[in-house]
Amino acid sequence: MSKHQPPRWAERFFRWYCNDHLGEAVLGDFIELYERRCRRIGKRRADLLFIWNVITFLQPFAIRKRSATQTYPIAMFQNNLKIAWRSMRRQKMYTAIKIGGFALGLATCMLIALYIRHELNYDQHYVAKDRIYRLYNEYHADKLEMWTSFPASAAKIIKADYPEVEKTGRLIPYEWFDGGNNLIRRDDQGENTYEEGFAYADQTLLEILEVPMVYGNPLHALDKPNTMVISRKIADKYFPNQDPTGRTIILDDDPKKAYTIGAVMEDFPTTSHLHYDFLLTLTEVEFWKGEQDSWCCWNYNVYIKLRPGTDVAALEEKLLRMRDAHHVAYLEKEGDKSAADVRKNHHYRLQHVSDIHLRSASIYDAVPRGDIRYIWLFGAIACFILSLACINFINLSTAKSANRAKEVGLRKVVGSLRGYLVRQFLTESILYSVVSFILAIAMVWLALPYFNILAGKTLIVPWASWWLAPVLIGSALFVGVLAGMYPSFYLSSFRPIEVLKGSLRQGARSSGLRSAMVVFQFTTSIVLIIGTFIIYRQMSFILGAKLGFNKDHVVMIQGASTIKNQKTFKEELRGLSQVKNVTGSSYLPVHGTTRDQNGFWIDGKQKEEKSIGAQHWNVDDQYLATMGIKLIEGRNLDANIASDTSAIVINQSMARSLGLTKPIGARIANWRAWTVVGVIEDFHFESLKEKIGPLCLTRGEWGSIIAVKVNGADMQGALQSLTKTWNRFMPNQPFRYTFLDESYARMYDDVKRTGNIFACFAILAIIVACLGLFALSAFMAEQRTKEISIRLVLGASINSIFRLLTQNFLKLVGISFLLAAPLAWYLMRSWLNDYAYRTELTWDVFAISGIIAVTIALLTVSYQSIRAALANPAQSLRSE
Amino acid sequence: MKGTYIGEFEELVLLTVGILFDDAYGLAIVDELEKQTGRNIMMSAVHKALVRLEEKGYLKSRLGGAAETRGGRNKRLYLLTQAGKKVVQESRDMRNTMWKQIPKIVWEGGKL
Repeated sequence: MSKHQPPRWAERFFRWYCNDHLGEAVLGDFIELYERRCRRIGKRRADLLFIWNVITFLQPFAIRKRSATQTYPIAMFQNNLKIAWRSMRRQKMYTAIKIGGFALGLATCMLIALYIRHELNYDQHYVAKDRIYRLYNEYHADKLEMWTSFPASAAKIIKADYPEVEKTGRLIPYEWFDGGNNLIRRDDQGENTYEEGFAYADQTLLEILEVPMVYGNPLHALDKPNTMVISRKIADKYFPNQDPTGRTIILDDDPKKAYTIGAVMEDFPTTSHLHYDFLLTLTEVEFWKGEQDSWCCWNYNVYIKLRPGTDVAALEEKLLRMRDAHHVAYLEKEGDKSAADVRKNHHYRLQHVSDIHLRSASIYDAVPRGDIRYIWLFGAIACFILSLACINFINLSTAKSANRAKEVGLRKVVGSLRGYLVRQFLTESILYSVVSFILAIAMVWLALPYFNILAGKTLIVPWASWWLAPVLIGSALFVGVLAGMYPSFYLSSFRPIEVLKGSLRQGARSSGLRSAMVVFQFTTSIVLIIGTFIIYRQMSFILGAKLGFNKDHVVMIQGASTIKNQKTFKEELRGLSQVKNVTGSSYLPVHGTTRDQNGFWIDGKQKEEKSIGAQHWNVDDQYLATMGIKLIEGRNLDANIASDTSAIVINQSMARSLGLTKPIGARIANWRAWTVVGVIEDFHFESLKEKIGPLCLTRGEWGSIIAVKVNGADMQGALQSLTKTWNRFMPNQPFRYTFLDESYARMYDDVKRTGNIFACFAILAIIVACLGLFALSAFMAEQRTKEISIRLVLGASINSIFRLLTQNFLKLVGISFLLAAPLAWYLMRSWLNDYAYRTELTWDVFAISGIIAVTIALLTVSYQSIRAALANPAQSLRSE
Repeated sequence: MKGTYIGEFEELVLLTVGILFDDAYGLAIVDELEKQTGRNIMMSAVHKALVRLEEKGYLKSRLGGAAETRGGRNKRLYLLTQAGKKVVQESRDMRNTMWKQIPKIVWEGGKL
């Protein structure tokens, strides 16, 4: 009988949608009809009619109900939970590793998430935050330069000339005049105390930044001359339990620097880019004659609050009018040749207030801030560590699949559908995930204080927030499903016949995938190890770098500005037996001391050339000797030569910048002319991130810091004698000192911090990876128990068994190293590029990291291997 | 039970199942119905009715009678249940009663 075949797809489609009750019989009817038609009207039309039949049969009564049998979801769920619980208890070690590793990964992720959330929350708390901007300069000639300082009058001009601007406010964040740190006392008390966090600000700045006040009128806090606003913290310290508005505070024991407290503000929130405890008014302040109206000197940061709906780009364009009318006009009036360049290259830009913290990397300001790159980096690390933990979970689940295979087979035989099995295994992994989450939260709670120290932050877990619980539960479910997805589909795909016949090679399948995952884990770990090494290397390079000055055994006596007779004080100190040398200056080569950037020219070229920026420091004649700075040419400043009041000592970098081949005797000028008498060797007076810039020293007999070089042998005794001398001079002010080398090290706290954080991450990653490796090796050993026993019986040495079990893993770690090394090299090179002075990337770092990774992996694997090799073969063969 | 009401088409299907007795399956029922009524009968309509009638308990079914012409597939063979027999019986009785109540004049005169 010639068999005609109806269209295959239509038949398949019918079988797909039609329920089992009708499927077979109706299809039979269709085919019978089809056969008949074929004979009568030909195949083509019969085909069409067959399709027509199939389509018209697509009706509710015929469609397969997806859950053909009725189930009781709650009962099933309870049963799933029970099974999960049992399988967890049956294999305590694997369960512990799964949950422990998972919890560790999750805890890391949570901490990093808290950190990132905190960083992203900076300056989000203003009501009108969409309208608050900071003004900055952009000078784009050969390279792009950006900075935030403006002349005093810029704010006033912008407010007056641009109607779209609602308010402007100024801030001087520099350690300049009374900014930075000071000694203070209440006017009715005698004792001076050291305080930090002073800055100059306008009343309008408080209004723009919506600074909330505890006491005093927020609209009249700084609007009178010689007023200041202090923070609640300071108010509580000096005026406990009272309203201090109207009281007077004296700075540096100088009655001329008396400030009336206009108001008390709340402490700045931790997520503000500004953190000050004292804001000094700028009302009627003029630092020198004509300063407020001149465009000579740029010292003010300007904050702007726009009116609603202002087009920022358009405003930036309009600000060029101010540039031409004031800045360029000033330069032209002074005959400065740079006027044309300014007209071409200089722009004023607006930066949104909430961008200041993370997106100011290339803008020069004096505000400590975060870096968006670290947010990305930490986020990436969090994801990696979480994926390491997930991989452990997946690897162990699939590896142990052999034990579950029989269960799966039997369940299928008694009628379980695949969907139920998937659901069962997902329930299991969600249970693991929930337990791990609980554990992880406990870990976060315990570790947060240490993490805060590590990261230099004050993070808190937002327990009280309404979104916390839903987010945690949601992510527990999500991560559970994510990690359980592959194992559950893998496990539920077993064919019952194969499994029950025992022909499934136990756990052998997907070993390729498992290897790939181990490689991934170790690649990540090795990259982190190498990163940690290089950061620490750079740190020790910084601390040990040849700086051009000697930072050891130098005591910096702080708060010397209040000493009325510094000269005598210095003489007295010099007389002490432990003291080698003494110098007095406000300018020292560490952060937190005064800086004074000036424009310098070869004298007489002021009108023709662009100035070079240089630090101008006032020092006494003992400065070079005390700091151990080397004089290369000429002589030091000399207190006994009267004409040395106009003598200047410059560094090599400055000589180069000015193009002086024979610097001695040359005349150079900033706001006055100087004669170069000496050249000193370049020394690092700023962070090693920057190239050594031009610097010059002129004579000054006064300084806020007295630096004392002491004999290192008896530091304790030296400090005692210093204290005694100080107390004789300044009975009302506690002796306060720091060590130069410690202050120097503190400049690199961020490097140290990054290094420590990296070390923690590296350790965590390697722990998680090793947990996985340990469990995998245990599993492998267990799998091959019989094989090993037979080998042992046949005379294999323990050594060869050990090799058999470890070499595979070592190969994987080797591959990981080959992948990790170039990756780490690339990443760390770009990190080091931030530093003008940096350590070399040498091969030994990579070698050591590789050896560490291999050793750790070997140690992890060898425990199980040795145990397997030492086991008594009779034990495992007996059962056969 | 959803009442004893059955529609006209359902009644026809029940009767056909009765007629075919031992070989009442989808296509055979369609053929028989087309022969008896002269209408064009949809296969899906017949199966739909069969499913409904089985749900109502008027029919019962079993699989069997595979044949080469059907690609070796079973038929779903239907049989009237007691309830099924009763419901066609009742339907006929009711019609008969109603027939009898129609006055003869209706059939004879016919003109008003």
